[in-house]
Amino acid sequence: MGFFWIGARSFGGVMPWAYRTMVEERRWLSHADFTETIGLCQFLPGPNIGNASIVLGKRWFGLSGSIVAFLGLMALPFIWVLGLFIVYSDLSSNAALKAVVTGVGAAGAGLFIGTAVKLGRALVKKPAALALIAACFALVAVARVSLLMVVPIGLGIAVFAARRGWL
Amino acid sequence: MSLVELGLYFALLSLVSVGGLPSVMPEMQRFVVDVKGWLTPADFIQAFAVGQAAPGPNVLIASLIGWKVAGLPGAFVALGSICFPAAVIAWWVAELWDRFKDSPWRKAIQRAIAPIVVGMILSGGVVLATPGAPDWRLWLIAGLAAAGMLATKLNPLWFLGAGGVLGALLL
Repeated sequence: MGFFWIGARSFGGVMPWAYRTMVEERRWLSHADFTETIGLCQFLPGPNIGNASIVLGKRWFGLSGSIVAFLGLMALPFIWVLGLFIVYSDLSSNAALKAVVTGVGAAGAGLFIGTAVKLGRALVKKPAALALIAACFALVAVARVSLLMVVPIGLGIAVFAARRGWL
Repeated sequence: MSLVELGLYFALLSLVSVGGLPSVMPEMQRFVVDVKGWLTPADFIQAFAVGQAAPGPNVLIASLIGWKVAGLPGAFVALGSICFPAAVIAWWVAELWDRFKDSPWRKAIQRAIAPIVVGMILSGGVVLATPGAPDWRLWLIAGLAAAGMLATKLNPLWFLGAGGVLGALLL
């Protein structure tokens, strides 16, 4: 299963890797399909890529597909992250190592931003979509309003806009 | 006892984790650090950094917190309970989603979700790059990684490696 491979090499956040593996390399999904599936999984509670593994596993192979995809996604990273954490706990007094780990984390955050821009390119010609992106960003990243408020209200407005043909 | 409490609380968080793990990180920290005192703030930040740096879904940060609270069983319980309720919901909704394939409402919802997702992922990246007070060095690393990813087809691991090197030099 490809999800095992996604999990195995997904340093710094799975989303860019999932896109690369499933859309660019294996062509299991189109760009629009990926955006929509991730979109569904983003508005469902839970880890997005975990939900994607459930949804896509079910679509392709039923219950066993969901279970295999989910466990495949989690298995190796789980062992990896615990092992790394044990090693890191031993060495965590080392300031240089701390700086390296923080730098890697910041680069991982950058890959998130890059993924958002990549997905957002498809929406660039729709002013209503850009306004929604800007509003979400202002509320979540700047004002730090809870997602429990932002997501239902934002989705309500977005569905209204979509029904009007603005999106 | 803390194992049961951890499991129940994380299962609850699972149900409200709309938008994925980053959105529940502040609540997780409030619970395990401020309310329960299972971890020190330094412990928590370390677990977060390692979870970010390690491969895999960032929900694995939950297993690191579980590990800190109750060892290996804690790691399994924390990860299982943060994933399972959400996985069950995803399973059921996927079916409904397919059944209403041709409904205009489904099409509207699909189109509506895309910009919200982009806004959330963008926010996640910026929030992750700003763990404490704004730091131009972290923003520089994040900006370079984002630009590099968009400008090239290089394996993202190169950008993470470069981020580590820049971190060693700048931080």
